[in-house]
Amino acid sequence: MDRWFLIAATLFAVIGAVWGMVSVHRGRRSKWTVFWMGACFLCQLGFLSLRGQARAACPLADHGEILVFLSWSLTLFYLLVGSAYRISLLGVFTAPVVVVFQTIALASGALERNPQRIPGGNPWHETHSATSVLAYGALALAAVAGVMFLVLDRQLKEQHLKSGLFRNLPPVRELLVSMERLLWLGGGLLTIGIIAGFMMPHDSAALGHLLAAVSVWTAYMVVLAIKKTRGLTGRRLSLLAVALFILSLGVFAFV
Amino acid sequence: MQLICLGLNHKTAPVEVRERFAVGTARLGDSAKELIATTGVAEGVVISTCNRTEFYLVAAESREALARLESHLEEKTPGHHDVATHFYRMERSEAARHLCRVVSGLDSMMLGETEIFGQVKQAYQAALDAGATSSVLNKLFQRAFGVGKKVRTETTIQTGSTSVGNVAVDLAEKIFGHLKDSEVMILGAGEMSRITAQSLVSRGARSIFVSNRSFDRAEELATEMGGSAVRFDAWQDVLARVDIVISSTGAPHAIVRREDVEKIRRARKYRPLFFIDIAVPRDIDPAVGEIEEVYLYDIDTLEQLAEEARAKRQKQIEECERIIDAELAKLNLPGT
Repeated sequence: MDRWFLIAATLFAVIGAVWGMVSVHRGRRSKWTVFWMGACFLCQLGFLSLRGQARAACPLADHGEILVFLSWSLTLFYLLVGSAYRISLLGVFTAPVVVVFQTIALASGALERNPQRIPGGNPWHETHSATSVLAYGALALAAVAGVMFLVLDRQLKEQHLKSGLFRNLPPVRELLVSMERLLWLGGGLLTIGIIAGFMMPHDSAALGHLLAAVSVWTAYMVVLAIKKTRGLTGRRLSLLAVALFILSLGVFAFV
Repeated sequence: MQLICLGLNHKTAPVEVRERFAVGTARLGDSAKELIATTGVAEGVVISTCNRTEFYLVAAESREALARLESHLEEKTPGHHDVATHFYRMERSEAARHLCRVVSGLDSMMLGETEIFGQVKQAYQAALDAGATSSVLNKLFQRAFGVGKKVRTETTIQTGSTSVGNVAVDLAEKIFGHLKDSEVMILGAGEMSRITAQSLVSRGARSIFVSNRSFDRAEELATEMGGSAVRFDAWQDVLARVDIVISSTGAPHAIVRREDVEKIRRARKYRPLFFIDIAVPRDIDPAVGEIEEVYLYDIDTLEQLAEEARAKRQKQIEECERIIDAELAKLNLPGT
């Protein structure tokens, strides 16, 4: 049953992505993207709820669950940020990322067919897992906003101003403000996750994961500190948001 | 009962003639009432904008009503013979069609502009409130507003900016969103700078700085814009705080060089900076546009974008006319 929820969530995200791209190509605002992503979000909740019941813990025990939790977090922040800042086009860029993550989770055998109950759950461990993945959702969305900025920046610089995509992209300043706020939000959640990670019981095998996580956290904090104190061009901030997010996915290799 | 339209516009009359027949917004209702009283027609609406003055009448005898209105207008401007020379006359379906074209922006100086829709609505409302309209004009104007909306939603007649100033403002909004948090500096107090800066102010730009070789002229323009004048040797200091720079000096060489902008990047914390260079020869060194956070547009690019929008609107005319014909055919309007 949980897989069906995930398949439905992925299909809704596919529809959201295709619908959004067709609308943008025709130069129209994609009003339905939020609806399809909302449906995707509900199905993700159904999946995570069933897996959570089976695990009797936060469902982050295998790579598939982590990818779905990450997609859920990404969708959640899109629904919050997209409507708050009226960046509906963010959904058009978010939906394909969700599709990729969930397809990998479904196709690669990353999901355990019969999830086992996790014995002896620890609250620090749960906090670490949940806030870290939520942080990744915010950071992923910051990377998506970064990609949008890079596209818009290139079009403005090269004076290619006729495409439907150009007309629908939000203004440069709004993208930069949203990206920075998402980076701060992701950085804050990641800080809580790291602290919880140090507090939870761990053995020497977890050292690689902790080191990778601390490196990622440090890198994000350095970028935010530079942005706050010295300033960064939009292009560099966007490139860093995208590059750091891709690199930070490596942390999961140590889970 | 027959529908008649008598009017003049930017195509048939120069501004010195148009201004003689212009009616202030506050007097539109009274003028419509006066129109009925003096010409003995059943219904009347007076439309008056900076580019046109038109009288829509409904009369039992159109020729007599027209003659009475024309002589009434001639009396207002004795010795000029403006009515015979500059006014156009339309009757029945031609008049109805003309009103639909006016409301849709097809008869405007700037093809597809939307302001005319509101202006006609205001004129009609004034006549309605003054009791100068009845069944024929009420039905005609309501239908014309419906047609105007349909033309705008089903075609792209209003998309794209058709003037250099509006293109620049649209680009500024694409970079900064709402302009209420944006500051603007004008280099060179020329006419084009003034028009572009006015467009930015009308869309909410927070403050304007004007720098010009003649400080008196800078102060004059700054006062007009509600901004501040800056001495020409001090514009670099202001560059660190502004978001948009409009330049149109008459200098024979570049005024803004790459090193001028490089110097203030750190102080600006690398925030986006939009340069609009409307001078010929150009005031801003093209190398400035290579700086990461700088967006530089010169007059040729802006003019090309405006021209493309104008051409695109021209292509839409046929489709707009088809919609108007189809809608009028459905109407079966009395008086047409």
